[in-house]
Amino acid sequence: MNAPDTWAGLCRSVLLASLATTAFIVPTEGVRAHHVLGRPAYSLNEDSNTPPSMQIEARIGSYFISMMAYPAFVRPGEPGRIHLYATHEKTGQPYTGKVTFSVRDDVLFGTAENENLGIQPPDDAVYRQGIVFKEKGEYIVSAFFEAGGEPYTIDFPMTVGDPLPVRSLFIGGLVLATALFLAFAARVLRGRKRRRVA
Amino acid sequence: MWPDSFSGGLICSIDGTMRMVHPGMPFAWAMLVVIFMGLVIAWSLISPRPQPRTPLALSLAVVPGSGPLVRALLASHWPRTLLRIVVAALFLLAIAAGFLGTPIPERNLATVLTWNVWWSLVIVSVFFVGSAWCSVCPWETLGSFAVNLRLWGRAVPDPGLGLKVPRLLRSLWPAAVLFAGLTWLELGFGITRDPRATAVLAVVMVALVIAALALFERKAFCRYMCPVGRTIGAYSQLAPVALRPVDPDLCLNCETLDCYHGSSTVEPCPTFLTMGRLQQNTYCLSCTNCAQSCPKENVSWQLRPMGNEARQSARPHLDEAGFTVVLLALTTLHGVSMVPFWDNWITELAMAIGDGQMRLGAFTVGMATSLVVPAALFIFAVAATRWLMGSAVSYRRLFALLAFAALPVAFTYHLAHNVGHVIGETQGFGEVLANPFGSASLPLSATDKHLRMLLMLDWYPMIFTLQAGLMALGFWLAIQVLRHRGASLDDSGKAPGGLGLSPMLGFVGTTSGFNLWLLTQDMVMRL
Repeated sequence: MNAPDTWAGLCRSVLLASLATTAFIVPTEGVRAHHVLGRPAYSLNEDSNTPPSMQIEARIGSYFISMMAYPAFVRPGEPGRIHLYATHEKTGQPYTGKVTFSVRDDVLFGTAENENLGIQPPDDAVYRQGIVFKEKGEYIVSAFFEAGGEPYTIDFPMTVGDPLPVRSLFIGGLVLATALFLAFAARVLRGRKRRRVA
Repeated sequence: MWPDSFSGGLICSIDGTMRMVHPGMPFAWAMLVVIFMGLVIAWSLISPRPQPRTPLALSLAVVPGSGPLVRALLASHWPRTLLRIVVAALFLLAIAAGFLGTPIPERNLATVLTWNVWWSLVIVSVFFVGSAWCSVCPWETLGSFAVNLRLWGRAVPDPGLGLKVPRLLRSLWPAAVLFAGLTWLELGFGITRDPRATAVLAVVMVALVIAALALFERKAFCRYMCPVGRTIGAYSQLAPVALRPVDPDLCLNCETLDCYHGSSTVEPCPTFLTMGRLQQNTYCLSCTNCAQSCPKENVSWQLRPMGNEARQSARPHLDEAGFTVVLLALTTLHGVSMVPFWDNWITELAMAIGDGQMRLGAFTVGMATSLVVPAALFIFAVAATRWLMGSAVSYRRLFALLAFAALPVAFTYHLAHNVGHVIGETQGFGEVLANPFGSASLPLSATDKHLRMLLMLDWYPMIFTLQAGLMALGFWLAIQVLRHRGASLDDSGKAPGGLGLSPMLGFVGTTSGFNLWLLTQDMVMRL
């Protein structure tokens, strides 16, 4: 075997070994991600013991409000659940009226239309709202109630599935485009100045 | 040695996710460090004033074994260019994953690579290779490429406007402000758990580099504004490796200053440094332009005693001193914000002030307090030292001079803190690298996290040993710096020594002691 054949053979071997390694690693990682000690992780849903995906706590007016969403990452077509718990800041008594839940698209510009999800009474002082998103996307779930003649609204951002992050791409693209325009303008100005001097 | 009771585990954080909590250093280990600190303080109070001496240094270009290799690596731009391309490609992949990959932070390359791997290792790298990270920084690589339309060689004519940096920005304060901003985003806004925001931040940093290159002469962003580069620069004053002249006399007699001006094919020093007069690493980007442009091939990597620049050769400047104090405060804040009780404090504060859902106001108040307290302590310690000296030296000069003592305290605590991150949080990096976009992946379950905790058990003795060793080293270096800097005031005849430096000894002891206490606390991981 002459030298070029040796090199070609070596390259082929390295390429095949790389492909074989990649073919072995990639599916293995995928499989591992779906199983946790024998319990299929795809059974995670609103009834599993998965911790809530997000919890927000805030004081609005006279109430401390805590809101949680299940499961960890909501996926389109799969049921999820939102919990709300509100206590009076002075008495510590939980709110006992009804809470209206609604949802809207989290749009980049303007405001989207609200869609009512339901009006919920307290269940052991916790307001539970089931929810199924048909499509992936960025949403805002709102909870509304009235107490002491005052309206209370709390917004809860939710990401469903892996939507295209329009807002992030827009911001990143705008910043980068501005900087590149600046670089282009600087190049043009510098060129003009150089020509004037010449 | 092992803690009496294993205190690590999982906790439910404010955003509802289960976070790993790693156990703090056992009390007995911390006590050993405290005893060491006490002995060092006692020694510093009774030992004679140190005399300045020429430090030992070894140029790697003249070492028989490595010399030819080092010279060959420095002579060509290719080794660095190839590394820059690889790092920039990985950076672009991380940005793409951030924008287009899964929003699950522990499964997305953007968050894992940026915050778990790079953000922890970049500080560790200073300990071994000084400011070498700056030479392959992808922000600079992509920014330079966008402006110069080339990756190597000198862009002639210079495509930027070449304006002088405004006087207001010609200090390290812009970098200090950006570093504080980065910390706010990291610890307050929670950017470490948001792949999209991480990608946006990466793009913003590249845009800032492009804007600075387009407007100002040379690399103004790297020189004055980069929060990471200036942190590396400050710490690399303590590093045992630096680019320096092989023969200093040759540089002193040099009339062409190619390192400063560059050559027809090599760019000039991006931060306006002259090799012959280089006394501190603060602004060196390790780009090796000087090594390639020097016609005498008189620039090479050099091994030197750790901390020598901070001890005696670096010149004191007020902005650099301020940056050091900010650095000390922010590194401590990183530790404070990861102990479990911090979350409760911020929540209670948020409730008290009626803060919004993300508790950003409460965090900002907490962060401001964390910045003010160490700064106030330092200001007071300098004032007390000056009072003991009888006001022979101006307060500004003393402030700038004594801030060098805070550098080893900040650096070694930063390292000790990051050791936990590097070992505890880089598990699973291989999985993320194999699936950078996290396609079809699920969040880590509580069981996964428990498994990771169990895999960590064997590592804890090593982590604690490293942390204790680093804290002892930092304190020793800080006291050394303090003694030498104190002695350098001798020309006025009012050098503080022994008890005269006791306020600063108190400052170094208090900050080191607090940092050591933080290491004994359980630490909540980022993901």
